[in-house]
Amino acid sequence: MESAASKPARQTPVKIVVAGGFGVGKTTFVGAISEIEPLRSEALITQASEGVDELFADGKKTTTTVAMDFGRISLQDSLVLYLFGTPGQDRFHFMWHELAKGAIGAIVLVDTRRLDACFAAIDFFEQRDTPFMVVVNTFDGRLNHSLDDVREALNVSPDVPMAYCDARVRVDVQNILYQLVEYALLRALQGIPVS
Amino acid sequence: MARHSSEGRLVRPYTMTGGRTGQDVPVIALESLIAATNEGRAMKRQFRWEAERVIEYAGQGTALIELAALVDVPIGVIRVVVADLAQRGAVEIIDSSGGSPTDLEGVEYANLLKKVLDGIRSL
Repeated sequence: MESAASKPARQTPVKIVVAGGFGVGKTTFVGAISEIEPLRSEALITQASEGVDELFADGKKTTTTVAMDFGRISLQDSLVLYLFGTPGQDRFHFMWHELAKGAIGAIVLVDTRRLDACFAAIDFFEQRDTPFMVVVNTFDGRLNHSLDDVREALNVSPDVPMAYCDARVRVDVQNILYQLVEYALLRALQGIPVS
Repeated sequence: MARHSSEGRLVRPYTMTGGRTGQDVPVIALESLIAATNEGRAMKRQFRWEAERVIEYAGQGTALIELAALVDVPIGVIRVVVADLAQRGAVEIIDSSGGSPTDLEGVEYANLLKKVLDGIRSL
């Protein structure tokens, strides 16, 4: 057996998923609080899983890569929080299962000018019963829509927390992360099975 | 961002894994921390460059996805390399409390979330 001295300090990784349509500010959101520059990792899609072939039916490509942005935040108590931005393009939705597995919860970033871009993410987390919250990115300073209007337009349950956030501002992002984990904790305490 | 594009890669990614695509290795979560062991550090020169880099970058604990970005290979490749190193005792894979957080019992999971909450508040 290894001696105690050779053991690295025991850290515990946890993760939160940041979803939303292409260009909604996911990377900005992650970058605002990450202690590292958001990194991009690629997954090479070579497995001929069901349904993939038709994605490349244009005949131009048989393999492709999908990029995932992520950031890291070291917390006290040897916790390391990873933030994962979901790949934006629709054809990479199958990657979401892996990202959502074991996640504390998810943030669905919304641009009120392109509400439909977040429908897929909301459907996914609702079906999976992953704790999620809806966050309206106000990066352009526009507050044209009340959160109630957005909730109604998205038709999400009244329990789902909603908030505004400027994805460029660290304290905004910190508050959002806090609200999401608080919501996940509430659900855990209520005994709602976690995904 | 990856430091260089795929054009700069001199070997096709799955050449590094002997053509294996990870179907035969246990799935390591993207956020699992990989830590180099003393044994791993001692024998790192015996490995191919990508495994050697994994040991260098892993240190006390670096997430799988971070290693993929740092070594600049796809996640599927880094999984195979890390699984092989773990089998040889060169790295240790640290999941949260022996599994994904959601494998924890209710109370234990709530306690973990409370710690995360405190951690975010103290940032």
